[in-house]
Amino acid sequence: MIGEASTVASGAGGCHIFNGCGFPAPGLQNFDYKPLFSVGSFHFTKPMLIAVLCVLAVLVFFWAAFSRPKLVPRGVQNVGEMAILAVRDQILRPALGRRGDGYLPFLVSLFFFIFLMNLMELIPLFQFPSMSRIGFVWPLVFMVYFLYLFLGFKHQGAWGYFRNMIPPGVPAPVLLILIPVEVARFFIVQPFTLGVRLFANMFAGHLLLTIFMVATWYLMSFSAGLLYAAGSAFMVLFVFLLELLVDLLQAFIFTTLTATYIASSLEAAH
Amino acid sequence: MAKPGNGAVKDTEQDSRAMGLNVGWTVFSYLIGGMVAYGAIGWLIGKAVHVSILFPIGMLVGLAISLGFVIYRYGRQESMERNDR
Repeated sequence: MIGEASTVASGAGGCHIFNGCGFPAPGLQNFDYKPLFSVGSFHFTKPMLIAVLCVLAVLVFFWAAFSRPKLVPRGVQNVGEMAILAVRDQILRPALGRRGDGYLPFLVSLFFFIFLMNLMELIPLFQFPSMSRIGFVWPLVFMVYFLYLFLGFKHQGAWGYFRNMIPPGVPAPVLLILIPVEVARFFIVQPFTLGVRLFANMFAGHLLLTIFMVATWYLMSFSAGLLYAAGSAFMVLFVFLLELLVDLLQAFIFTTLTATYIASSLEAAH
Repeated sequence: MAKPGNGAVKDTEQDSRAMGLNVGWTVFSYLIGGMVAYGAIGWLIGKAVHVSILFPIGMLVGLAISLGFVIYRYGRQESMERNDR
């Protein structure tokens, strides 16, 4: 974020208040990166690099923690066990109970991958949440939805699964009215909100941080502007801490909803 | 070490939190889903008969249907649970 803000500001030619130049407002251009390298028509960008590094970080961390597990955990294994137990007790068990323990590796990977991807917006040099590019969110949503449908069909049968969506005792004419609502909810709105919630939170957070960073730079001058710059710098700190919470919360919500979807696929919810 | 009783209370709190999160987003999805579905139907019919007002009417009808369904499904469930206590 700091580097990016500086880039935006220096791109405006050292633009400060009272210099006669306008505020170099951050916008969608802050989410576009030039390719690091290209292979034919495929362009490898910074958000992709961040995603690859996050995958590797999750893999390496859990491999280091559990490749040679000890009965009495020490060091990385200790942290790894705490991480797994946190996901199990706060996300998996409340939604699925003990029968869902088989899905723990999936939910742990999902939670820590999303959390790390979100956290990248606050780590210097990376300073970009890849989840603020919606192309990184949809594959996760499709994966979760595919699992949701697959488990539903497997445990309730294709017909039973769709029949169980409507609560029992609903009269036939009402059922006819409800089918379009149910189809729109299940195939359009629910996956859309699952993806857009994560994307929009990351997008807004990154934009907020960038705006206050650039504003701090822009307002800096040997005049009253310095006070405004201090105010803006305080907001950077405030939004930074807020984003720390949002990063964790968004990963938590995405994984919790995934767990509840799995739970509803395993048995009919009435 | 936590007493067994405390653990049970904690489990129930976590269960209801996960359930509440799911129900909250499901209700939201129903409300938007109703508007999307009947808005689309209204738009299609409106396009066929050249009456553009059918699109907003469809959205309102969809909202009303999903609102009724949400009350029927979740309002009734809550009131039944309250009676059980």
